[in-house]
Amino acid sequence: MARPTPSQTVGPFFARDLLWKDGGTVLFPGRSDRITLTGRVFDGDGAPIHDALFETWQADPTGAFPSSHDGARPHGYGRVTTDPDGRYAIETVVPGSFKGARGETYAPQISVAIFARGLLKALHTRVFLAPLELVTDDPLARAIGDPDRLRTLIAARDPKDSKIYRWDVRLRGAGETVFLAF
Amino acid sequence: MADTSAADVQPPYLYPDYRSTRLRAPAQPLVRVAPSPLESVGPTFPQQFVRDGEADLTTWGASAPLGEKMVLVGRVLDEDGRPVRGALVEVWQANASGKYPHPVDDHDAPLDPNFLGKGQVLTDDEGRYRIVTVKPGAYPWGNHAFGWRPAHIHFSLFGNAYAQRLITQMFFPGDPLLPIDPIFQSVPEAGRPLLVADLDLEQGIEGVALGYRWDMVLRGPRATPMGV
Repeated sequence: MARPTPSQTVGPFFARDLLWKDGGTVLFPGRSDRITLTGRVFDGDGAPIHDALFETWQADPTGAFPSSHDGARPHGYGRVTTDPDGRYAIETVVPGSFKGARGETYAPQISVAIFARGLLKALHTRVFLAPLELVTDDPLARAIGDPDRLRTLIAARDPKDSKIYRWDVRLRGAGETVFLAF
Repeated sequence: MADTSAADVQPPYLYPDYRSTRLRAPAQPLVRVAPSPLESVGPTFPQQFVRDGEADLTTWGASAPLGEKMVLVGRVLDEDGRPVRGALVEVWQANASGKYPHPVDDHDAPLDPNFLGKGQVLTDDEGRYRIVTVKPGAYPWGNHAFGWRPAHIHFSLFGNAYAQRLITQMFFPGDPLLPIDPIFQSVPEAGRPLLVADLDLEQGIEGVALGYRWDMVLRGPRATPMGV
């Protein structure tokens, strides 16, 4: 087995280089209702992280995995940077649930990777676009157990605008988001 | 934590000598899970995502950039040594003076009007890539007194599965700054040689450009942690 190449930080000087035009608009074939997943990313002092690369990968509304492109960009993938307030926004569709190899059900979720100065490796997590009570059978929810920790991965639907899902990310400290190793 | 070959060569999140990790590394243990079926596949990049010439960073301007021209070749492989085909390889780097064309770079060094320092390429059926560029300069940074980053080229890779996503840096052989660079030193000793290119003169262009070779290895798309 060849050893995998070690990870290194994306550093502070990437923004201009890794941005995609309209990277915050996630493409899918066909027409579906669009929603926006948005929130802020904070460090261990509660200060906004303004220089993160925020990437998303997700299923379509039926739970099928994107396997093509629109001729210019891949389907299903979002890529943005956080702004000076630490804010990101991904305009996309609500993914459907999907099955695992052993028949387990994955709740509606978006896989998220965060890269930034000070992160020697990507931070991986999954955000659920469904209320807590509907995700408890998800394999990750089961692995986490503690509902308070699980709650850090639940995007809250805006009571005033049902097309907006809000989800903040705390890299360290109080209310720290659950991150994954896989 | 399971001990895997991957764990032996990956840096930790918290590496206090690299100061920015202190407020950004998670304090809680990571939750170990297998990649989901979604994460075991990945985005599909169309061939036209990469335009002709984007693998040559020296032809962006009206004339040639300053610095030592170089050709970098290599392969993207998985842990079983199989080529990763159609991998998107993105690179970005400082110019020969160690300056990035980026608003937060306050290093007092000149920009090069003929060098943007950004490129991309898709690997071929053998997993090969080739880029033409100039050797980036070292530059000072405020992490610690008299700190300088060794010359490096940033790499971002999309393999065939989301779980293979990798961002890293390539360094140059024999660089005297490597032993004092906390970002490079954050990698366990066994992993450090994997980040250093080899001189490969015959991959260069006779009388024009130095040749280097650097292979990258992505984890298997369905790799699961041992002992779980």
